[in-house]
Amino acid sequence: MAINERGAAIAKGLTLAAGLLLASTASAHHGWAWATEDAFEITGDITAVALGNPHGELTLDVAGEAWVIEVGQPWRNQRAGLTEGLLGEGTSVTVQGHRSADPEERRVKAVAVVIDGEEYVLYQGR
Amino acid sequence: MDLLAAIESSSLASALRHSVWVYPLINALHIAGVALLVGAIVPLDLRLLGVWREQPATVLADVLLPVAVTGLALAMLAGVLLFSVRATAYADNPWFLVKMAVVSVAVVNVLLLRSGAAWHRWRAGNDRYSPPALRIAAAVSLLAWFAALLLGRLVGYFG
Repeated sequence: MAINERGAAIAKGLTLAAGLLLASTASAHHGWAWATEDAFEITGDITAVALGNPHGELTLDVAGEAWVIEVGQPWRNQRAGLTEGLLGEGTSVTVQGHRSADPEERRVKAVAVVIDGEEYVLYQGR
Repeated sequence: MDLLAAIESSSLASALRHSVWVYPLINALHIAGVALLVGAIVPLDLRLLGVWREQPATVLADVLLPVAVTGLALAMLAGVLLFSVRATAYADNPWFLVKMAVVSVAVVNVLLLRSGAAWHRWRAGNDRYSPPALRIAAAVSLLAWFAALLLGRLVGYFG
C-alpha cells in the first residue's frame, strides 16, 4: 500500500517536472526569447550567406564589425521573396528586427530586410 | 574539421537544409525517438529504484528495454541527419558537445549494466529488490537521459 502511494507520488512529481520543462521550452521556442522587445535597425554589407534549416543566417560587415542576422526557415524566406540571388556578397542590406538581449552579442533576429529600397517582410505584423 | 565541412556540403545535408517539409519531419522523428527512449526508461529505472516492486521485473525489462533501444536508435539516426545540416556549427557549440558527452555516459552506463551478472540475475529472478549496483545505474540513467533531453533543447535555444 505504502509502495503504491510512493509510486503515485513519484509519478505525480515527474509529471509536474515534465510539465514545467515543456512550459519553459515552449516560451523559448521560435527563437525570440533571446532578443530584446525594442525595435532595432542596422545597415551593413553582406559578407556571408547561409539560407536553410533550421533558419538562415546572413553575416553583415557593419563599420568593421561582423553582425549575424537570423532570417527565416526556407518557407518563410520563400514567402517573403528573400532568395539567395538577392543576397550577393557586398550587397548593402538594412535589417529591421530585434537585437540580442546580450549587449556583447552582435546578433539580430530579422523581422524585415530592405535591399535596394525593396522590403522583404519575414514576420507580418511584428 | 574537413570531415565536418564535407558532411555539411554533402548532397543529403544540402537537400535537408533547403527542404520545407522533410527537415521538420526529421525533427519530429528525433523527438519521437527521445519520447520512446525516455518514456520507456523512466518506469524501468523507477522499478530498479524501488517503485512498483510488486510488478514483475522480467515483464517490465522485456517490454521497456526494446522500446528504449528502438527510441535511442531512432533519435540517433534522425540526430545524425539534423547534425549534418549544420555540422561545423554544432561541433563548435558547447551545449551540443556536453550533450554528446552526457549521451555517451548514458550509453556506457546501460552497456555496463546489461553486461553485468547482477542485471541478468535480477531480471531472471523477478526480484522485488534490486542490488545497489543496479540502483546506482538506474539513478545515473534517469539523470543522464533527462540531462541529455534538456541539453538538446538548449542546443536549439542557444545554438
